[in-house]
Amino acid sequence: MQPQTTVILDNGASSIKAGLARGPEGDDDDQPKGNSRLVPNAIVRSKGDKTTYFGHQLERCRDYSALHYRLPFEKGYLVDWDAQKAVWDGVFSSEVLNVDTAESSLLITEPYFNLPNIQDVYDQFVFEEYEFHSYHRCTPAATIPFGRLFQTGGPSPPECLVVIDSGFSFTHVVPIINNQIQWYAVKRLDVGGKLLTNQLKELVSYRQWNMMDETYIMNHAKETCCYVSTRFFEDLETCRSNPKKNSIVREYVLPNFSINSHGRVRLPNEELSATDQVLHMENERFTIPELLFRPDDIGLEQSGLAATVAASISLLPHDLRGMFWANIGLIGGSTNFPGFYERLSSELLSLTPVEYDLQIYRSEDAMTEAYRSAFAFANDPAFPTHVVTREEYLEVGSNASRRKFPGWQSSSAPGDAEISKITQESMTEDRGQPSRKPSRPRVRTITAPGRRR
Amino acid sequence: MAPKRAREQAPRHVNATKQTLAPDIITKRTKRHLEELERSNYTEPSITLDDDGEGAISGKNRVRQIVSDKRYLNDPNAKKKKSSMKVRTALLYRKNLATLIEESRIAHLPCHVPTYLTAAAPPPHLPPRLLCSVCGYKGAYKCKKCAMPYCDMNCESVHAETRCERRVI
Ligand SMILES: [Zn+2]
Ligand SMILES: [Zn+2]
Repeated sequence: MQPQTTVILDNGASSIKAGLARGPEGDDDDQPKGNSRLVPNAIVRSKGDKTTYFGHQLERCRDYSALHYRLPFEKGYLVDWDAQKAVWDGVFSSEVLNVDTAESSLLITEPYFNLPNIQDVYDQFVFEEYEFHSYHRCTPAATIPFGRLFQTGGPSPPECLVVIDSGFSFTHVVPIINNQIQWYAVKRLDVGGKLLTNQLKELVSYRQWNMMDETYIMNHAKETCCYVSTRFFEDLETCRSNPKKNSIVREYVLPNFSINSHGRVRLPNEELSATDQVLHMENERFTIPELLFRPDDIGLEQSGLAATVAASISLLPHDLRGMFWANIGLIGGSTNFPGFYERLSSELLSLTPVEYDLQIYRSEDAMTEAYRSAFAFANDPAFPTHVVTREEYLEVGSNASRRKFPGWQSSSAPGDAEISKITQESMTEDRGQPSRKPSRPRVRTITAPGRRR
Repeated sequence: MAPKRAREQAPRHVNATKQTLAPDIITKRTKRHLEELERSNYTEPSITLDDDGEGAISGKNRVRQIVSDKRYLNDPNAKKKKSSMKVRTALLYRKNLATLIEESRIAHLPCHVPTYLTAAAPPPHLPPRLLCSVCGYKGAYKCKKCAMPYCDMNCESVHAETRCERRVI
């Protein structure tokens, strides 16, 4: 029998979003429905504290200067299982989820195009080390149709949708038809939060203070100061015309660990003490996130995000493309930059064929959107039909999950029978039907009623 | 913490070469920069559980220790059990992504199967724009020695003093 408890791990390369689902009628006494714990997916050494923190323990860290990171993921893929196990051990322990893995099911996310040899190791840890009763493994985007991101327009998600997942390691454009990822049209932009923080570190270190070892601090500076510009060259002019005194520049006050102060943006007219050190965030504020839209600014030979979305949709069946343009959803922490939505909308609008409408769905909490969708998936009555059980694994090994989990290996190409069936159905249905005439306004903002942590 | 003025630290380069750079050297420089942007730490010692001072940072060639085995979570329910062979292998022998891609043989799959290798975004269709490598403003000029863009004479001299050719190998 399927256990009542399902452990949910949105296992990102920077952070794990972890929680428990107790089934459709389950009580969530200690955790309100859908709330997750955010656990850094890293082993972190603090020189100042003379301590090494594993995953969730990082919240005990006092001195965030020159933190040294050991990450289980390399370029978005899980390669360091020792580090991963150390973090997972903590997540399952009484300090976080307090769960008996052998009496639970598991829903875990994996990277897009995960390698088959890495997938086998997922199976080994899930069943041989943690002895889960059963599990399902899928990408973050695959959970989205179960969540609420696209559901403001009706009770069920549209048949055709595109998920843009901009995370720590990279950004993916993922088209989905009837819950099935269309792998032949999935595209990857090699820009994510890690690259952006590192680029900011480098610029600031060259121009102002040496911050090369201050990943934690510079990530915070990025999150509090950076935005996506909708008028790049105008903003460049503004910064140049009156350096240190213009509408764009912000003063980021560096943390002072001797008095336990955190990094922050200086408020207007705020007095600073003599020991405060200030970082001037000038055109760094917008030239950093700009790389999502112009990767060639640092010589990366890839199209920007909008052109990548258009390239992805152009690979999909012709008569369904209108539905994809009308159902684009944003998830992942790097979609949170102020101005991201506005810039993407305006660039996408210029690429949308005139006969189609463009509609972009936003989450109130893009970072945990996949977690909350996974939570809904785990509570779906059909979830038990998607899992591989430990029993099956012990019988046939990883073949069990290769058969069960729909992955890119088993992906179908366009023109396949399943798709032409959908094509015919979509012609006779109202919902999501591509409009033939351009209507005004062509862009609509929709924010899903997500929950904040 | 005590951040230092970065510019003052940077070494000066005086050995100038006369000719402009070949495109393949610029490509190599860009590639190396993009690799640097993948780093998790600027300096890369490995972490061990040894918490007393500098001994915690050990060199690359030390025998690999498993950190996940040495953890005591003070969980009374935690049962000490032996990991399976496969799990122990994964814990002990870390492979980098390039090796794993090689071993996965995804490069040898039929060309209609989409993989990590085929999913990269298409090349840019817009011409590249020149931005000053010193200040980030529009860079109208390129350094004669290393081809990095700069915007004016001020940035040109900062570039020449600090960074010129530093990325060239
Ligand atoms: Zn300049
Ligand atoms: Zn130069």
